[in-house]
Amino acid sequence: MVGSFDYLRPQSLAEALEFLHKQPETCRVLAGGTDLLVLIRRSVASPAHLLDIKALPETGRFEYTLGEGLLIGAAVTVNRLAESPLVREKYPALADAAGALATYQVRNRATLVGNICNASPGSDLAPALLVFEARVRVKSLNGSREIPIDEFFTGVKKTVLKPDELVTEVFLPDPGEGDKSVYLKQGRVKGHDLAVAGVAVRLTGSKKLCLAVSALAPAPLRLRHLEEMLNAVGFDAVTAEKAALEVEHFIRPISDIRASAEYRKHIAAALLKRAIRHCEGGGKSA
Amino acid sequence: MREQPSNTGETGGTDRVRLSCVVNGEKVSALVEPHLTLLSFLRQELKLLGVKEGCGEGECGACTVIMNGNAVNSCLTLALEAEGARILTVEGLSNGGGLSALQEEFVKHDALQCGFCTPGMLMSARALLDRNPDPGTEEIKEAVAGNLCRCTGYYPILEAITAAAKREREGEQR
Repeated sequence: MVGSFDYLRPQSLAEALEFLHKQPETCRVLAGGTDLLVLIRRSVASPAHLLDIKALPETGRFEYTLGEGLLIGAAVTVNRLAESPLVREKYPALADAAGALATYQVRNRATLVGNICNASPGSDLAPALLVFEARVRVKSLNGSREIPIDEFFTGVKKTVLKPDELVTEVFLPDPGEGDKSVYLKQGRVKGHDLAVAGVAVRLTGSKKLCLAVSALAPAPLRLRHLEEMLNAVGFDAVTAEKAALEVEHFIRPISDIRASAEYRKHIAAALLKRAIRHCEGGGKSA
Repeated sequence: MREQPSNTGETGGTDRVRLSCVVNGEKVSALVEPHLTLLSFLRQELKLLGVKEGCGEGECGACTVIMNGNAVNSCLTLALEAEGARILTVEGLSNGGGLSALQEEFVKHDALQCGFCTPGMLMSARALLDRNPDPGTEEIKEAVAGNLCRCTGYYPILEAITAAAKREREGEQR
């Protein structure tokens, strides 16, 4: 490994927050490390300290309370979500997204909280969190706050987090009865690849649509205006077609090594239509 | 217990830290630099040269080892993150010097040519069969999708894993 850093593995949250408070600029938080260690290897990041949060009791929590929701600690791995029957049942879009992220080995290390803190525009997990209106719970020595996920991302690899803040967990409200959701990802190949486009669709029990995308804007994006447009007339047989027709006006894709902006608009429409039809059809396999 | 002096040849200004873990059933204790990856620790300190470095960035899977029962990329894990962990590498697969059923099936099905991906491929397969003794083709593909092979075309690998699973289910020792 290129770089030189010291490694801290605090056993208590107080200890971790104290350290972040003292060394906010030179310290990076280490969860799964599957993004951070690559950045260090490439000399894109060169922290003096790595603060491993996996030994904190709070970060290992993975708890569902009926009628309230699901709490996912910062050390919970992506495979834990992908393989959880509860996530599959209550939050299918999140289970889909977790299973679509990178490779099996990477998913055994990578964490949900690490994925959103890395804030890649192509984050696989963010669209699912956006449609479930997840809340990001953050602590620092100065107190704690809860950030709605659609206010969390501010740009390419940027979030609202301050350097001395630690995300301890993400909370997903209970979707309730009759909720359907799905995440569809288009890559260049069937195997391990970053998303060309990712689309999460949720149809609530009261037939309200929630839509979110990744790799189609500088940050993962909830398509609120498109939702409002569609929800205003109510869900019917042509909703999927209408969404596909309109979506290009609400995204800002770029051309890059993986796809052209034009193709991204095309595939966004196709995925959105497929995902809405999936939810319409009862939420069985997409 | 094996005591290993740390001599990684890598530069770094930070102090070495004591690491204790269990590798292939043997207790290991060493002083390591914080920036040392688990991959480098296994290769350079323990001379377990079956663990391969391909890309070093979690793309190719050549460095796959089993840590506390889970297949992981050892290039994306710091050695110090393995404190207290049980690590299994390809060197730990064989029984008393002989090849395991899984390894034998790789040989029988010509599931390797240059062999560079093979240790990682075997460890992903081992972790799969440990959690699912009767995997379907799609499950096998998913389990080894993070292990790139540029020689065989993958089908012999899928066949070898399927055959090994069958032998293990029929009660044969791993």
